[in-house]
Order: sequence, then structure tokens, then C-alpha cells
Amino acid sequence: MTETDPQVAKSPEVALAVRNLNFYYGENHALHDISIDFPARRVTAMIGPSGCGKSTLLRVFNRMYDLYPGQRATGEVIFDGRNVLERDLDLNILRARVGMVFQKPTPFPMSIYDNIAFGVRLHEKLNKADMDARVQDVLTRVALWNEVRDRLNAPASGLSGGQQQRLCIARSIATRPEVLLLDEPTSALDPISTARIEELLDELKEEFTIAIVTHNMQQAARCADQVAFFYMGRLIEVDSADRMFTNPKQQQTQDYITGRFG
Amino acid sequence: MSETVVSTTGWKPNPRAARRRRADHLATAFGMVMAGILVLVLASILWTLLSRGLAGLSAAAIMKPMGPPGSSSGLANAIVGSLIQTFMALLMATPLGLGCGIYLSEYGTETNKFASCVRFVSDVLMSVPSILVGLFVYQVLVAPFGHFSALAGSVALAILAVPIIVRTTEDMLRLVPTSMREAGAALGATRWRVTLSLCLRSAKTGVLTGILLALARVSGETAPLLFTSLGNQNWSFSLNRPMASLPVTIYQYAGASYEDWVQLAWAGALLVTMGVLAINIAVRVSARRG
Repeated sequence: MTETDPQVAKSPEVALAVRNLNFYYGENHALHDISIDFPARRVTAMIGPSGCGKSTLLRVFNRMYDLYPGQRATGEVIFDGRNVLERDLDLNILRARVGMVFQKPTPFPMSIYDNIAFGVRLHEKLNKADMDARVQDVLTRVALWNEVRDRLNAPASGLSGGQQQRLCIARSIATRPEVLLLDEPTSALDPISTARIEELLDELKEEFTIAIVTHNMQQAARCADQVAFFYMGRLIEVDSADRMFTNPKQQQTQDYITGRFG
Repeated sequence: MSETVVSTTGWKPNPRAARRRRADHLATAFGMVMAGILVLVLASILWTLLSRGLAGLSAAAIMKPMGPPGSSSGLANAIVGSLIQTFMALLMATPLGLGCGIYLSEYGTETNKFASCVRFVSDVLMSVPSILVGLFVYQVLVAPFGHFSALAGSVALAILAVPIIVRTTEDMLRLVPTSMREAGAALGATRWRVTLSLCLRSAKTGVLTGILLALARVSGETAPLLFTSLGNQNWSFSLNRPMASLPVTIYQYAGASYEDWVQLAWAGALLVTMGVLAINIAVRVSARRG
């Protein structure tokens, strides 16, 4: 970014660099020539009306679209010196390094402990003590430890929605990723649970690069350092959160932010 | 208080409404009579079964093996034979059915020709007459070896059980939400691990129910056993020899002219029915817990 950008200038490192990205659902051209940087250890919020392509972009970063035939991406997403769109990239390693949390909490059909251990076991061989420590560490960081420490072996499905979502975040950071992708992580939660997750983001960004898709403008304003506005598959504007919400450059951004459409 | 509005026609009886009400009563009555007839049929079957079967059901019937008429014989070897053959059948059918069901649900998308073919064959197999399956196994496993065997009987039952397990496994796995698969993949799990550790695990109650349903379905089958395991008057535990089974024994004894054999046939029928009932209760219990 430019030097006049104080928020982003503090951290010149870029974790994810997107260049000329195009995305297709079969014949449908969903993303057009997207180029954007995600500064390391910062929160970047992606906003825009439904169907604008913000979730699609998120799902490119961990190649989630690979699960579905007919979806493809062209261009570059540079992460740690490599284009993650390369065909021969090891997806399991990529997904260990780029974690994802979804809109609806998706606890696995197993105990709270095993929900965390499941992902860790895929990538590391830990002994019991180390695994216990890892589970406690991530649960503490999502502020869930005190609520579940006595029932780690109880099924995760017994937790409340907000607790489940924090468990899912804990599960994602347990594999020690560098980037955390959040796809509307609070849209299914009540205001109190939402507030807790937003606080959590503030702590997590000390360690992780966070990309969050949200429909909630206040949430973007509260949590994000950088905000990107998407409309009809195009990136309209990207700027620091302060400027985006006080003085957007594009008319479309202003119209959306002030609620004139969307 | 203000007065409410009063119309001149509002509460007059409407002849059309009366006719509709009569038609409604008639339709309800028709439905109830039909349902009553169905219950009556089932109740009379059960009543006959209970009254005739309980008379023949004695300690000897369960403890003693089959024997010549008038020798106070029982059904012990047929009971054990039935258990061995149905569980052997389940042992063969479960891995095959699970594997097929998993393939169809997780890998066989609508556009996959091979999967569509497998699904179609499995569905056809579900409605093939069971005697045809018996004939097929006779051709393949009895005629070439020159003798009947319990193994052939088990294979015939397994063939009948597989399509049921395939269908329920596929249906239950399809109920697992896509979000579960995505969440697993997002952690860097391979597709196989997601299927096994997450999908199959969430669907395990339904899958288990399917296996029990298949068990209930084959445990009363007679036709596929007639020319495969044949039946046996004596104790036999060898899979390579003919083996007795309850359905075949019922078939043989029910038409006999010896009073004690006929009674044993009824006792056997009662045992099979109680077995199937027990399995169905188990299915309901497991379904409720899941």
C-alpha cells in the first residue's frame, strides 16, 4: 500500500498477495481480475452484498473449491513464496497453514477434546501430555477452557452455538496455521457470543493473518484494520477501515456503506 | 361499550357446507374401516401364531434337535443353524454393502456413469425374487461342488442383504451436511479420513439401523435356502455341509401329516416372528438414541 496509509504502513509484510485472480463456477465468471494484499497479522474484512464474490474469494485461499468439479481459478495467490493455485500443491499442507472457520458452527461428532485433537493428529505426532497441553492452550485462547475443562470428554454437540463456534476457531488454530479465514463466523450467533468472538479476533491477530467475510458493517468497522468492498465479482475499493467508513473514494462503496443498497 | 356489527346472512346454514361436511365424514370413515381391516388381518395372524405356536413351544422344542415323528424332538439344531447362517450372511454383506454405500454417496456423483449403474443394479437386486437368488447360488456354489452347504445358504442370504445395506448407507451418508465435509477438508484431512472419521461417524446410527433391517429381512427367508443349505435333520456346524434352518424346517414340517411336526412348525414360526420383532425393537431403540 502507499505511505499515506498509516494502518497498513505499520506492517509492510504481506501474508497473501492476490494478483489478477479470476474465478469460474462452470460457465459463470464469479470473480473478475481481483488484486489485493492481505497484510500479515492484520484483520482484513471483506464486505459487499450477497453474491458479490467475497466468500468465493475466501474459498480460493485454501482451495476449498477443489472439492467441487467445475469450479476453477486463474491468476495468482502468493503465499509464502508459492502460488497456491498451482496444480501440484499439497492441499493438506496448505489447509494446515491456512485455516478456515465457517458460518455455521460444525462440531465433529466426537468429544470436545477430540474435536481439537482430530486436526492436530492429521499433521503432527504428539504424545498424550503434549496433546493435552495443546488442547488446553487453544481452548484457553478462545476463552472456552474454563467453561469446558470439566467435560472435555463430553460430546461437542452439547455446547451452545457460541461455544461451538469458539470450539471451531480453537480447532482451526490448533494446527498452528499462519492465516485464518473466517466466513461470516458470527452470523448465526447472538450478540453476546458475537462480541466474544470479535474480542477474540483482536487477540488472534497478534499471531495470525485474518481474512473475515462479514455482512455486518459495524463488525467490519470494529474489528478490521483493512476493509475491501466487493460488488458483482469485482473489487471496488480497498483501504484502511478508518478511511473506508469515513471517506470512501468510490460512490458505490459509499452507497453500500450508508445502506442505499445491498 | 360499542355495539358490534351484525350481518343479515352470516350465521344462516349453508347447504354446501353441510354437503362438504358429510363428504368429509364419509372419507374419514372409509379410511378408518380400511385401517381397521388391516389391523384385523395382522391381529388374526398373530393370534393364530400365538395360540398354535405357544402350544408347541416347550423346553424340549428349544433344547432338543430335530428327530423322527413321535420322538419328542425339537428345533435346537434349526435355531442354531439359522443363527449361524444369518450371521455369516451379515458378516459377508456388511463390508460389501458399507463399501458400496460409501462409494455411491461420497464418490458417485450424479454425473458418474459407473455409480449410476451400481445404484441401479443394487436397486434391482433389492426387488429380485429371493428364489432366483437361491437358484443362482445353486448354480455357482452347489452344483459345481456336488453337495449342498451352509456356506451356499449364507451367500444367498448375503446377496439379499447387500442392497438393503447399500441403500440405507448411501441415504444416511447423504444426510450428513456438506458443511461437515468442508470443515474436515479445511483442517487438511484427506477425503477418505473425512468420510471415515466424520461422515460415517455422524451417520452411524442410521447405518447400523440399515444393517439390522437387512438382518430382519433375511432371517425369515426360506426360498434362497431350499436348494443351497437344504436343511439337516441332525446337528451340523460345518459350513461345508447342509445345515438346518428355522424357515426351511417350518416349510418341511408344516405340510407333514405328523401332529407333533406340525406343532413344531408353529413353534418355529413363532420363534422367527419373535426374533424379527426383537430386531425391529432394537432398530427403534437405536434410532431413537441417535
